[in-house]
Amino acid sequence: MHAPVARRLLVIRLLSALGARSRAATEMIGRAARFVAETARAVPDVATWAPHATLHMRILGVDSLPIGAFIALFTGIVLAMLADYSVGDIVPPYFVGTLVEKSITMELAPVLTGLALAGRVGANIAAELGTMKVTEQIDALETLAYDPYAYLVVPRVLAGTLMFPIVVATAMLVGVVSGWLAALVLVDVSTPQFLKGVRLFFTEFDVRYGLVKSASFGTAVSLIGCHAGLNARGGAQGVGGAATRAVVISAVMILVLDAFWAIVWLTGRTLK
Amino acid sequence: MTRTRRVNDAVVGATVLGVLTVLIAAVLWVNQSALGDRRDTLHVRTRDVGGVTLGSPVVIRGVRSGRVDQVALGADGWVIARLALDEGVVLPEDPVALMQSSSLFGEWQATLLDGSGVPPDRELRAALSEARGAGDTLPGALLPDIAQLTAVAGRIAGDVAEVADRVRTVFDDSAAAELRGTIRSVSEVSAQLRRTVAAQAKNIDAMSVDVQRGVRDLSIAATVIDSVARRIDASTSRGEIQAIVSTVQQAAGELLATSRQLRGLSGDVARTQVRLESAVANADSVFTKINRGEGTMGQLVNDPRLYRNSDSLVVELRSLVADIRANPRKYFNLRLF
Repeated sequence: MHAPVARRLLVIRLLSALGARSRAATEMIGRAARFVAETARAVPDVATWAPHATLHMRILGVDSLPIGAFIALFTGIVLAMLADYSVGDIVPPYFVGTLVEKSITMELAPVLTGLALAGRVGANIAAELGTMKVTEQIDALETLAYDPYAYLVVPRVLAGTLMFPIVVATAMLVGVVSGWLAALVLVDVSTPQFLKGVRLFFTEFDVRYGLVKSASFGTAVSLIGCHAGLNARGGAQGVGGAATRAVVISAVMILVLDAFWAIVWLTGRTLK
Repeated sequence: MTRTRRVNDAVVGATVLGVLTVLIAAVLWVNQSALGDRRDTLHVRTRDVGGVTLGSPVVIRGVRSGRVDQVALGADGWVIARLALDEGVVLPEDPVALMQSSSLFGEWQATLLDGSGVPPDRELRAALSEARGAGDTLPGALLPDIAQLTAVAGRIAGDVAEVADRVRTVFDDSAAAELRGTIRSVSEVSAQLRRTVAAQAKNIDAMSVDVQRGVRDLSIAATVIDSVARRIDASTSRGEIQAIVSTVQQAAGELLATSRQLRGLSGDVARTQVRLESAVANADSVFTKINRGEGTMGQLVNDPRLYRNSDSLVVELRSLVADIRANPRKYFNLRLF
């Protein structure tokens, strides 16, 4: 008799654990959705967030330009070398230009820059808002009748959404130019050949795809950073955990969104 | 605070504006968009553009002279491609457009060339002829790309493999042995021929001497003939032959007339002969009668008396005539009224 009871209790315990996990996941999704909904609701409160928007655009965007350019600079060089190494004697040398342009504009500039900014911007937002949260500054704002979403979240999300494409565009330009110079100096591909390769399969869609993708990365990174910061608990340790969580989730979301946009926009599309 | 915010606004605005400007300029430059440039456009009508897309180069005699500006489906199964040519580009006479692959890596181009320079392919020329339309629209056609050519080559390779299989079936071991035997036989025949040729070489030498001699004689004869021909030519040039011919013609005419006269004379002779025969017969009858002493002449010939009487009569007549001459009034009396 004891064995069946114990087995029944074990099953009940497993089902309870599964249910608790499901509830937690659903709660997490629900909290995230509620957070996004609260942010969207606060967007019309322009008078609250507008005075701070350019500040955050400068912090999140303009100050991030050197990082994006630096990453793209070396990415372009590596891509040119890699293209020459991979297909050197098999295909014409101008395909170095094609490979550099396609890779930089469509994939590497948005993703690498997004990952870098996930660390810089996401951690920055999470740490700043987490500190405000644990020091009860946000409670003080609410006491002063400030909407924390309109005052803290919306300007950061808008700044991330608008300035990520700017940083990525800069990275695209720097990456292609550095790839060009690398092809010219290190790979011995002439400028006309490189330009021929760049122009061969270039379409405006390449740039549009990269910029839209980077805008979605900016939205995700800033939203995740704000969410992690506003949900920070405890003291400095909680702030550090929020920053870490923001960076990790942002990086994962960047890759998820990258795959999402590839499925949405590249499925069935060819360079015809 | 206000000053800081203004600085932030300016920095962000300048950054956004600068990056967007550079990005748009780069895209336009890479895309070879013509902003403000004057470009001549022309339309091409074709059944299929293949891999030609927006931005594909337009090439004239191997020189890039523009780009494909637009590709759109037209009516009745046509595709209309708009080509933007660089300023100052001169089209070839009777231009046609060929959509063709420009490399093995998926690059396509629109090649403008003179209609007379189209490759001599019957289907291609038929496609161009069909695509000729009214107005300024150029006819276009699609050249097969490497994939299609490879497919054709694959079929040819299959045919060759089939032929090779058949050849292998025909030339089995026994056939190969027979072939080797045939080759040996041919080799032996060849050796025999070589010996025969060596043996006949002397005869051929002698024959060649004779032939040389004959050739020499022929040369001499040719020289003689040449001189005769020269003479004939000279005579011909002076008109003597012509005169001879005309004389011969005249003589032939006269001979013809003479023969006609002779033919008439022969008729007369025949008739005269008949008469002579009749006369001879009559004479014979007369002479027969005379010999028989019939009639006056018979008696005259056969009776001497008649002769004598006649002679005396003549004598008497002569004396009568002399008398008349001496005395005419004796015999003649002439009166008037």
